[in-house]
Amino acid sequence: MGTIKQGLLAAVVMWGACLGMAVAADVDEAAAQALLKKSDCGKCHAVDKKKDGPSFHETATKLKGKPDAEAEVFKHITAGPMVKIDGKEEEHKKVKSTDEAEIKNLVRWILSR
Amino acid sequence: MDSKQEIVARVRRHWKLVLGLGVLGLFVAVLLVIGGAAGLAWTSTEQFCIGCHEMRDNVYAEYKGTIHDTNRTGVRAVCTDCHVPREPGPLILAKIHATWDLYGHIMGLVDTKEKFQAKRPELAHRVWARMLKNDSHECRNCHKSDHMEKDKQSEKAQARHAKAKAEGLTCIECHFGIAHQEPEGPGPQEMKASLTK
Repeated sequence: MGTIKQGLLAAVVMWGACLGMAVAADVDEAAAQALLKKSDCGKCHAVDKKKDGPSFHETATKLKGKPDAEAEVFKHITAGPMVKIDGKEEEHKKVKSTDEAEIKNLVRWILSR
Repeated sequence: MDSKQEIVARVRRHWKLVLGLGVLGLFVAVLLVIGGAAGLAWTSTEQFCIGCHEMRDNVYAEYKGTIHDTNRTGVRAVCTDCHVPREPGPLILAKIHATWDLYGHIMGLVDTKEKFQAKRPELAHRVWARMLKNDSHECRNCHKSDHMEKDKQSEKAQARHAKAKAEGLTCIECHFGIAHQEPEGPGPQEMKASLTK
């Protein structure tokens, strides 16, 4: 029984690792960078450095492991919510695309930083 | 006759030769000045910079499509506008320093994407350090903060620039990674913090 449990656990870990790799491998880096550039995200967000908004690394770390991370980021970049910068509220710019697959790719790229 | 008078007499005897040499010397000097100026101008063009594939396939490809390349008014900032000083002294120094790029090109220091990516942080940090030191001098060649019409800027931009002025920030501390891909490692604000420690 102990061996079966160990085997099941190993299988789950392997499956999780493969899924993780598949998700990471699923990101089209070039397409994500292109949409990032088109949408001017770099004006306020750096990959891992300080700018006006949180870095992508900061966002990815904050949402790591959360099941609705992708949905949360997707909504944030498409809905144009109000965000607070230096105590003042302003509208977050919307991503310049209506292609859901393209936006989701960008979301996965952000969360993989 | 003493030596001075001898020299004068010789010059008078061979005046045609002396005149000819003088004209030739002047001609060569003019050629050198024109050639030097032309060389400086040619090596400051966009086409010259992207003559090396290291630049063309990496940082230039990233720059294409950004606001400094293409925008509503068609006013562009090319490589030298941001990376080479305009003042004569610093310009000449920069050109001399840039001969190291020839060495890098010959030795293939960044001749593949992988090598370029590995060297990117060092290259970017060098530029940022210079801009932090000279208060983003090259940005200010075109962007004069005291000539900005604030009411034509967005509220966001007005607030940011007011904050930058109050906190003594220089352009590059916020406006980095807009022409080229951001490298790994510290950004200009982190670099400035470590420089002022």
